[in-house]
Amino acid sequence: MMGYFSMMFLYFDPGLGAMLVQAIVAAAAGIVLFSKNFMYKVKSFFGLTKSQKDGIDTLDFEQDEKQPNEEQGS
Amino acid sequence: MKSKAHRHQASFRDPSGYIFQEGPVVKRVINPIYFPVYDALCKADFFSPLFKAKMLIPHVEQQRSTEAIVLKPDQIDLMTYPYEWSFEQYKQAALLTLKLQNFALDRDFSLKDASAYNVTFHRGKPIFIDTLSFDFYQKDSPWRAYKQFISHFFAPLVLAHYHGAQALKMMQTHIDGIPIALVASMLPKRTKLSPTLYTNIHLMAKMEAKHKDEYNPKSREIKLSKKSLRNLLRSLFDYINKLDLKEQSEWGDYYNKTNYQPESFRFKKEQIQKWIAGYSVRKVLDVGGNDGTFARVLLRDIDLAVVADIDHNAVALNYAQVQANKEVKMLPLWFDVGQPSPGIGWSNTERDSILTRLSNWGPEAVLALAVIHHMTLSGNIPFNDSARFFAALSSVLIIEFPKRDDSWVDSLLQRKREFINHFDHYNQEEFERAYQEHFTIEEKVVIPGSHRVLYLMMTRE
Repeated sequence: MMGYFSMMFLYFDPGLGAMLVQAIVAAAAGIVLFSKNFMYKVKSFFGLTKSQKDGIDTLDFEQDEKQPNEEQGS
Repeated sequence: MKSKAHRHQASFRDPSGYIFQEGPVVKRVINPIYFPVYDALCKADFFSPLFKAKMLIPHVEQQRSTEAIVLKPDQIDLMTYPYEWSFEQYKQAALLTLKLQNFALDRDFSLKDASAYNVTFHRGKPIFIDTLSFDFYQKDSPWRAYKQFISHFFAPLVLAHYHGAQALKMMQTHIDGIPIALVASMLPKRTKLSPTLYTNIHLMAKMEAKHKDEYNPKSREIKLSKKSLRNLLRSLFDYINKLDLKEQSEWGDYYNKTNYQPESFRFKKEQIQKWIAGYSVRKVLDVGGNDGTFARVLLRDIDLAVVADIDHNAVALNYAQVQANKEVKMLPLWFDVGQPSPGIGWSNTERDSILTRLSNWGPEAVLALAVIHHMTLSGNIPFNDSARFFAALSSVLIIEFPKRDDSWVDSLLQRKREFINHFDHYNQEEFERAYQEHFTIEEKVVIPGSHRVLYLMMTRE
């Protein structure tokens, strides 16, 4: 197994800067997501939320499985 | 086991395995070094939900020995590359990659690379094609492919948002993704105020510059919890999901602007349908096919229509229809006939040129409707050269020739100003003479209510 991982490190350079910056990116992302959720809760408390979602897609896999299976000719 | 001579140049970078060609069939070999991951993935039933959701190209295991495992994946008709996708296609490829990483994390795996070439379009949807991109997730480790995701997906999309879809074409000259420092320098200053853009682009560019000479990965232990990694994925996902293109759709109503009468339009559609049916053609390439209006009428009778156009908005509009109608036989392609995508990367063969890929796919008929005047008068491509080009693509050609009286032709000629006389050769006789060197004219019909002639031609053998 160790041999496997050491080989993976040869595959490409992930960039030390990019590895380090992820903690900051993730922290900022956490704050943005938290404040969005917070605002959403405040808005929904006052009944100001729109039922429509911003995007058509979601990050979570499970949501996709519920979609009807589309398969047709044209 | 397998001769490495058949190895495709697209897969030399990853030691886990490679793809090779066996006759017309593309297969994938897994090297022993990747066996532990592959077996763990199979044991965790990782693949089948992704096959079912059409997120990963399905495969069957064909052979197994101590030296190699051979997979036979479902075959992709025509591989398209990031610089041939519309903005929306690009965006969906990015979202698919993030979804896969999230799915992998749920099961304690992780994408070890996030190259835009891991995704292509198949049966109307983006699909992940690199089965060997999954690796074990190591507790509290950052995402190794994060930088690659940013330079292959996030950066081109953000640049396109600020500078227009043409920015996506930068991928053609940067096979490893757009350098982050370059992206940071191109973005407006105000983007530093966005937490997502500041951290993912500007700060990353700074950190990259600061640490570029440190190469010992063991000198620091970098930790990132899985929860933090998920926050990172979610914020990238939400940001990309909301990204749009600011460009106006100039060609969106192209057919309202053309000089077509409704009956000419209908006649043209029916005539093409009749000719295609007559040759029992299954694979059609439409060069300059706009939003796919004409190829779309053929879909019932064929297996795949590849509709190529130079105009991003036309390609975008085509893809919007593919999505809305859930079409599986239409492949939109952003393509400039005057400069088709070249072979790029190692030996110029790592990513094949679009002409090589088209010729491997082998269209059985080519449509060139209302495009010859643009090629000849805007591109200055002589009839003889365009004829040779079409003859090399397919043996059946359906080509529309707008005569000099056509208003579009006239406007193109007027733009030549004092050089207008140099384009006297643009006439039906010259066109037929030049094309007959490469083709025989099987049929020709004048489109009623227009100054245009539709030809059915066959290559001379």
